[in-house]
Amino acid sequence: MNRADNVIDVQGVTKTYASGALQVEALRGLTFTIARGEYVAIMGPSGSGKSTLMNVLGCLDRATTGTYKLDGIDVSQLDDNQLAEIRLKKLGFVFQGFNLLARTDALRNVALPLFYAGMPGKERERLALERLTEVGIGDRARHKPTELSGGEQQRVAIARALVNDPAVLLADEPTGNLDSKTSGEILALFDGLSSGGRTVIVVTHDEGVASRARRILRMLDGVIISDTPT
Amino acid sequence: MLAYFIEAARVLLANRTRSILTIIGLVVGVATIVSVQVAAQGMAGAVSGIFKGTNANTFFVFPKSTQGNVVRAALKLSDLALVQERVPGVVSVIPFSRRQTVVDAGHQRVRLRFGGESDKRFSTSPLAAGRTLNADDIATAAAVCVISDNAYTRLFPGASSPQDVVGSSIYVGSKRYVIAGVLGKTKIDTAALGFDVSNDVAIPYTTFYNTYQRGSSFFGISVLAAQGADLKSLETQTQALLTQVHGAQYQYFDFGFFAKTINGFFSIVGLIVGAVGAISLVVAGIGIMNIMLVSVTERTREIGVRKAIGARSSQVLLQFFIESLLLSAFGCLTGMLIGVGLGVIVNKGFIAKISGVTGGIPWLEVIAIAVGFATLVTLVFGTYPAYRAAKLDPIEALRYE
Repeated sequence: MNRADNVIDVQGVTKTYASGALQVEALRGLTFTIARGEYVAIMGPSGSGKSTLMNVLGCLDRATTGTYKLDGIDVSQLDDNQLAEIRLKKLGFVFQGFNLLARTDALRNVALPLFYAGMPGKERERLALERLTEVGIGDRARHKPTELSGGEQQRVAIARALVNDPAVLLADEPTGNLDSKTSGEILALFDGLSSGGRTVIVVTHDEGVASRARRILRMLDGVIISDTPT
Repeated sequence: MLAYFIEAARVLLANRTRSILTIIGLVVGVATIVSVQVAAQGMAGAVSGIFKGTNANTFFVFPKSTQGNVVRAALKLSDLALVQERVPGVVSVIPFSRRQTVVDAGHQRVRLRFGGESDKRFSTSPLAAGRTLNADDIATAAAVCVISDNAYTRLFPGASSPQDVVGSSIYVGSKRYVIAGVLGKTKIDTAALGFDVSNDVAIPYTTFYNTYQRGSSFFGISVLAAQGADLKSLETQTQALLTQVHGAQYQYFDFGFFAKTINGFFSIVGLIVGAVGAISLVVAGIGIMNIMLVSVTERTREIGVRKAIGARSSQVLLQFFIESLLLSAFGCLTGMLIGVGLGVIVNKGFIAKISGVTGGIPWLEVIAIAVGFATLVTLVFGTYPAYRAAKLDPIEALRYE
């Protein structure tokens, strides 16, 4: 596999927080790559640095040192606006708490990234409906989050994450708020996305969730302690 | 850009109660200022309308009340001719003569404004029937009169037309006057404003003098200037002439001065209410800022989500700024409409009832006030909350509970 096919290329990335007088090293020099189409789980206990890594990979935060190339673009030195642009075009987020806009129906929630991309309203809604149908809840498009079950809400969130056709889908404990049956459905959806060629990264501490991925990165104290295929 | 307005409108509509409560202060503030503006315009229109009803070329001269020798200052019949001869541009000079008196028309006895006038008309009311006073009436001190529409309706409630009463007689005390003419409706009843410029029953000033003023001095003189004459210059010339002749001091007065005083009074009222309104708008603006700050705090997670999915800080700023803008624009628009409504009610219900003149609505000023305040309030009080929203760190914001 040549390097150009690596959608994520992390080289010697560190992240240091100043917590009062104390310097907290959340990431201590990570180097790894993720190829296009891979399905990777990042695991680790609380404080292992997996959330920090997730933020860096998701371009919500910058590495202190090292380089991070996303889809061939070195994002280590980009400013806030450029990072926003990368998040808009290259990344899709799925959160544990769904994070849908309340009082806003599913369709408009899904269309939100397209709004920031400056797409006209009609086109936005057409694409959003397409995505909702893909994740199996096209018929719930006009329902507000409060009228949807947890599983349905997470499907809306996944549709929103995919609506910009991102290079990487980042999911942070995507089944954390769901019962086991619904979790199974969501994980099946991720399986389907992965087999469809989508690059999926799931951050979790649930072995069951991680086992669905094809590769597991285990972290502890800011370093990767193992990198194994499942 | 339009999409931002739609998005902001959706957010505000989703929080309808809060949005309405937020703008109430603004609505009240703008409504106050606008209604006073509209009422002041109505008043100005009424004042100028009132003075259209009288001859603007009229002025009055009378002795200053603050001088020692009032006897020397007293004006006499000889002064009339003197002023008319010596001050070029003066058309007519008559004694200032007006009294409230009971007029008897047989069946009706009514208190009316009764006074002497000249054949040169000081009033601009139209003639409805008969004729106005003529030079013969003046020269012969005839016992004739011209009555106003007010006098006509009150003295002759049964008459079918003004023409019917021409030639009939009315009595003031024991003195009989034949009605020579009836004037038409004046739209403006100036008496209701506390000053009058016309008589209900006008007889020749010579008759009035002979009957009621002979042997006594009169209070002042009314002067009618030629059309286009420089009133100010005539006033000072007349004043100087009388001072020279009598060795006393005189003052003069015209309706332009009166109008200026009234308008000045209303512009001061406008200023005071404007200042109070401006303070209430500052308070209203702080209210909007407060609610927007609460809204930013409440929606921290939402802002985090928006940023995570790719909204730039400037886009978040714009979104919140437009929410403030819509709030204050809607508030100011509502306030403007309510203010115009109230102003019109005051104009139609009070000012027009008194003056007979309805002032126009100063749309330009009113819209300028509304737009100006909306812009100001948004810029001053909407910027900070929007800035707070924009500078939120997405990671922190997403973690916010």
